[in-house]
Amino acid sequence: MLAIAHSATLIGARGYPVRVEAHVSDGLPSFAIVGLPDASCRESRDRVRAALLSSKFVVKQARTTVNLAPTHLRKAGAGLDVAIALALLVATGQLDADLLDGHAFIGELGLDGSMRPVIGTLPLCEAAGDLRPVVAHADAAEAALVRPDARCARTLSELVGALRGDLPWPDGEPRRSHGSGPPDEPDLRDVQGQTVARRALEVAAAGGHHLLMVGPPGGGKTMLAERLPGLLPDLTDQAALDVSRVHSAAGALEDTSRLLRRPPMRAPHHTASMVALVGGGSTVLRPGEISLASGGVLFLDELGEFPAAHLDAMRQPLESGVVRVARAHVGASLPARFLLVAATNPCPCGVGPFGPCRCSAAQIQRYQRRLSGPLLDRFDLGLWVDPPPASEVLGQRSAGESTAVVRDRVARARERARERGVSANRQLRGEALERAAPLSAEALAVLRDHLAAGRLTMRGAQRIRAVALTLMDLDGLHGPLDAERVQVALSMRTHAQALGVAA
Amino acid sequence: MTPPRRLSRTPDGPDADPDDRSVPLEAYLGALATLDGMGSASLRTLLALGSPSEVWERICRGAVDARLRNALAPVARDASGSWAAQARSVDPVALWTRWRSRGIGAVSIGSPSYPACLLDDLDPPVLLFHRGDLDALAHPRVAVIGTRRATGYGRRVAHELGLDLASAGVCVVSGLALGIDAAAHNGAVAASDRAPGSTAETAVDPSVSGRTQAGPVAVVGGGVDAPGPSTNAALARRVVGVGAVLSEAPPGTRPAPWRFPVRNRILAALAPVVVVVESAERGGSMLTVEQAQLRDRTVLAVPGPVDSPASAGTNALISEGALVCRGVDDVMSALGLLLEGVANPPVESRAEPDGDAASVLAVLGFTPVSIESLSRDLDLDLGRLSVALGRLEALGWAERRGPFVERVARSDGGPRR
Repeated sequence: MLAIAHSATLIGARGYPVRVEAHVSDGLPSFAIVGLPDASCRESRDRVRAALLSSKFVVKQARTTVNLAPTHLRKAGAGLDVAIALALLVATGQLDADLLDGHAFIGELGLDGSMRPVIGTLPLCEAAGDLRPVVAHADAAEAALVRPDARCARTLSELVGALRGDLPWPDGEPRRSHGSGPPDEPDLRDVQGQTVARRALEVAAAGGHHLLMVGPPGGGKTMLAERLPGLLPDLTDQAALDVSRVHSAAGALEDTSRLLRRPPMRAPHHTASMVALVGGGSTVLRPGEISLASGGVLFLDELGEFPAAHLDAMRQPLESGVVRVARAHVGASLPARFLLVAATNPCPCGVGPFGPCRCSAAQIQRYQRRLSGPLLDRFDLGLWVDPPPASEVLGQRSAGESTAVVRDRVARARERARERGVSANRQLRGEALERAAPLSAEALAVLRDHLAAGRLTMRGAQRIRAVALTLMDLDGLHGPLDAERVQVALSMRTHAQALGVAA
Repeated sequence: MTPPRRLSRTPDGPDADPDDRSVPLEAYLGALATLDGMGSASLRTLLALGSPSEVWERICRGAVDARLRNALAPVARDASGSWAAQARSVDPVALWTRWRSRGIGAVSIGSPSYPACLLDDLDPPVLLFHRGDLDALAHPRVAVIGTRRATGYGRRVAHELGLDLASAGVCVVSGLALGIDAAAHNGAVAASDRAPGSTAETAVDPSVSGRTQAGPVAVVGGGVDAPGPSTNAALARRVVGVGAVLSEAPPGTRPAPWRFPVRNRILAALAPVVVVVESAERGGSMLTVEQAQLRDRTVLAVPGPVDSPASAGTNALISEGALVCRGVDDVMSALGLLLEGVANPPVESRAEPDGDAASVLAVLGFTPVSIESLSRDLDLDLGRLSVALGRLEALGWAERRGPFVERVARSDGGPRR
């Protein structure tokens, strides 16, 4: 007898509907799952069998075939367990077929018959479409983010009971109220001194300009970077959904009771593999760090220690905001719209060109060659971060502005960028930049001087304009770019020689 | 030290005429130089056996006896076992033709085009490979040398010395290494960029002849076709274009460590005046200075900050009595030349800055400082500081390089040298 149950599977950060067909007939007893299941999916056979037995159902000795349609799509993970079990129950006449109608079942089964949470509940529930998702109780809150009508159950027998109407559907976990407790982000006020660096952080946050920090160890590069996400405004509804979806698909959603509202920050270690950084894997196409940082900040500490190939793989996503991961059988587009913040020592010993550096010229060259020109070109802002003098660390200098104050300014600047039709000024190119950032006569003269002296390339000049425009936005100024903003942008501009050494 | 042995020329080996099809003795000398571990001293020892072509045949036959072998330099002695096999796989004539077709020449001691200044040296190279124009050596010569790990200060001084000396008609001799060498050569080739029509001018005005800018000469440790580090490849091509690159090592040689000290002696031999721009207390430049002192060359040192390790060597030289080099004038007077008719850049009057710019300039030294620390020390906000820096840049006092600011002009109002 044939039975059908609906479910979904995950590729990249997107769910795809899957039709689970079970066919039970006479013949030699066997149990086969067909339709491109991966290893964890093929193991469903044993999990489902044990779960059915534990839940006091009958497992018939018969020829059983389970087909996962569409068959061209690879199915990964154990999220189809529940649907397979229910389809089998219907096929063996232990459950009425019409009870499954209108539902999509997403969940993994334990051998004891319990329903367990799966990775990617959020995108999987989205894929349910017209059907009403049914998930494990532990996934109920996450499912409710996109499908308030989602149902849940703790065990297979509870699920069958509820479908039959014998038991009530259990409630999901009570949702915690929004904004409970202050966001646990480090405050900019803790940074002593570093006025230029603070300003650069603000500009990076407001204009989406990528930031490179160079300096000896202990200068506070990591401390500064950690404070950048706090300066970014809350995510919009759409962005929050996009970000949460990716985090759900990667199993990285910590608080499942609400969408991620704060921009995420990811700081992968330099030993991370290429797949871990840009995403991939043979079947699941798990989102990489750059996708997890989408909407927020990707912080690469020790940039010089990352393999050059990994860094160059990020260049294209940096431009397009999307990373397309393709494998022989599957492909997926993952979001990668992140703000890149990188920190590096100037040379292997870390002291830099103006201290007692112990590195040979060849060592320094090798260290810096890892940072390809095109990658360095992507950074609109470059900073030298020195440890502040002891007097400033211990002294009673007045504390700087707090994160909240700066974030308000950033939000206003972003608002003005949105009026120009982009989410941040960095995305303004060519004609649009020309229109949004006309130059005053003095500003034009400054740029022309720098171009003539060979201190600036045409491309560099365009980046200066974008940064200067962000500075105008932050200061609440309108009209053509003035000379002061352009000068400040020049002070914060990085180029290949930002590491302080010209070979 | 044995006196230099003038080589007798074979009757069929006329002087190095580029169009000549016959095989000059340099072809055999060149082939001998390609053997593993072959240096100048070993080559000279071998030539005691006879003419280069005879020596070559003996090596092909493997007929180098133990006594002669013991007289070779250790590197050559160790490698000499494989010479016969190596030599049999090489055709000196084909090798020679290939070199010539790539614009690589070779002069041997005794040939008319051999640099005269090397003839009476303590240890003249038997054979010199060259690309470019050897006539560059006809100008007065100054070696500008220094550390690979140069500071911005050292590079700037070396660049300006190279530029000013070349404009004054002095041939800048250096080693085409990273750091000071590269900066000096860059300056020297920049001088020829600055006066592209100089040859035409000299034809019109004979009084300037001999005082036009001179091409630089590089003496390298490896082969002349791939000298120095790959980053300097473009620079090497430009040096070949306006001057010459010399080497004792045959083309294609990767510089083994032992070749550098050997190269240094040629640097010292070529130039009557040696300027050390920056050097650590112990370094390759100090070896060159030793070679220069052996030859009674005038050694000048550029003073540097007393706490800079890159200037420790030069400051020590000064305390030991080396002449102080404060600029091109000191070098010219050491050469015994007057700085006349030099196409100096026109003296620009630099306006004194005022306001914020003046206070920024007051604290700005020649060592780069980060904008961050300037802002902290002066208690200026980034806007005012940046405007002040822009003003200083426009006036030519300072330059922003990435996140650093560096002073580029002295406050005596003189031009940047």
